[in-house]
Amino acid sequence: MMAAERNPVSCYLDERTFRLCCQLFLQHSETIKDGWSWEQIKGTDEGFMKKTLLIPVKSSVLHEQPESSVQDEDMVTDNIQANVEDETAGVQAVCEIHAVLRYEYHVLYSFSYQIPVLYFRASALDGQPLSLEEVWRNVHLNYRQRLQQGPWDTLTQQEHPLLGQPFFMLHPCRTEEFMKPALDLAQAENKRVNYIVTWLSVVGPVIRLDVPLSYSTESDISLHYAAK
Amino acid sequence: MADDKDVLRDVWFGRIPACFTLSPEETTEREAEPYYLLLPRVSYLTLVTDKVKKHFLRVMKAEDVEEMWLEYEGTPLKWHYPIGVLFDLHASNTALPWNVTVHFKNFPEDDLLHCASNSVIEAHFMSCIKEADALKHKGQVINDMQKKDHKQLWMGLQNDKFDQFWAMNRKLMEYPTEEGGFRYIPFRIYQTMSDRPFIQKLFRPVSPEGHTLTLGDLLKELFPAAICAEGGWHQR
Repeated sequence: MMAAERNPVSCYLDERTFRLCCQLFLQHSETIKDGWSWEQIKGTDEGFMKKTLLIPVKSSVLHEQPESSVQDEDMVTDNIQANVEDETAGVQAVCEIHAVLRYEYHVLYSFSYQIPVLYFRASALDGQPLSLEEVWRNVHLNYRQRLQQGPWDTLTQQEHPLLGQPFFMLHPCRTEEFMKPALDLAQAENKRVNYIVTWLSVVGPVIRLDVPLSYSTESDISLHYAAK
Repeated sequence: MADDKDVLRDVWFGRIPACFTLSPEETTEREAEPYYLLLPRVSYLTLVTDKVKKHFLRVMKAEDVEEMWLEYEGTPLKWHYPIGVLFDLHASNTALPWNVTVHFKNFPEDDLLHCASNSVIEAHFMSCIKEADALKHKGQVINDMQKKDHKQLWMGLQNDKFDQFWAMNRKLMEYPTEEGGFRYIPFRIYQTMSDRPFIQKLFRPVSPEGHTLTLGDLLKELFPAAICAEGGWHQR
């Protein structure tokens, strides 16, 4: 099979394939207890994937503190689990956690752009929603410059298209740019791929959502990506 | 498109007379008179109510003022919907002027998007234009336009300049009949009694057999409840 004979892979996703990829994704999530669920809109065949995460942060993330010694890269204490094991370090780490944020992620399908879109909302545990500035402060430093590059390729507050409530959304404009190489490569190497896994692995970490490696290595949830 | 110019002008210059009253919950230094304004149907509330804000700020203390938001009969008004849509959705069956209540505190975080500046409105507007073109022309027309053309589109809306706006918008409304016209029709159906903001689906303007389709065909396929069995029309 000559790679040159194949048609270029379309980086767009039709709705049926979106739902199939989500179904497979959810099966794996169930297996590894990754917390994703499917929310169906009553009376329709439409729905979205949803996951809620509790993220511990140092209080300087929520309130501007000029003398804060917190470095931008470790605004979120990712290594809390490890520190708890070490008693002395554990005590120090616990003292540093001032707040826990609740992030709720929704993966929806966009008919207009024929791609998935990631919506999310964030709040403190008391329900107080985070402002756009506070959400920005939680974006990892490495991603901020990229996010600021285009007026439409950024993080904004949007109305959730199915629920009607304010959410934040990562704009879908650049999806083609990073999905095309990934899908082309998969096709060239005759590898199976799950569009949602590939896509979410790229956009998720920008807003603190990780996709464990086992999603990518688990072949049962991947499909041969057809050329269009 | 040229013969439609009268229709285009009528749509553009549509106005709704509104009366803005400060909410009794607000703390004022003295009584505030209501403020009357003609609202352009095609624009956005936060873009055209600066005068309303200035009027009421005169009777309030700075420390009592947060982001202004508007409400009609207890329902927060979504500034990101065109004014005409908001009026038709909430108040079209009531007598004019449209009585809107003004608030400066207790912003309804679960209902309304924040609107910190005009650039937020611009970003939202351009995002809608872009999405519509994605449906009409796979985004080719909007992407081929220059940044200054996008700016002209926005400035036309912001400054209520029909000619300036349509000089650019006509490119987005080009309908190449040889290619079957628009790929899909950009439309949204808003309903009052629904959590769902609107119905938006893919709809081709031409049937597989080549017949040009009408609004009735669209509704029949995607929202049959709007059309009653005898072929008449339900109210909204």
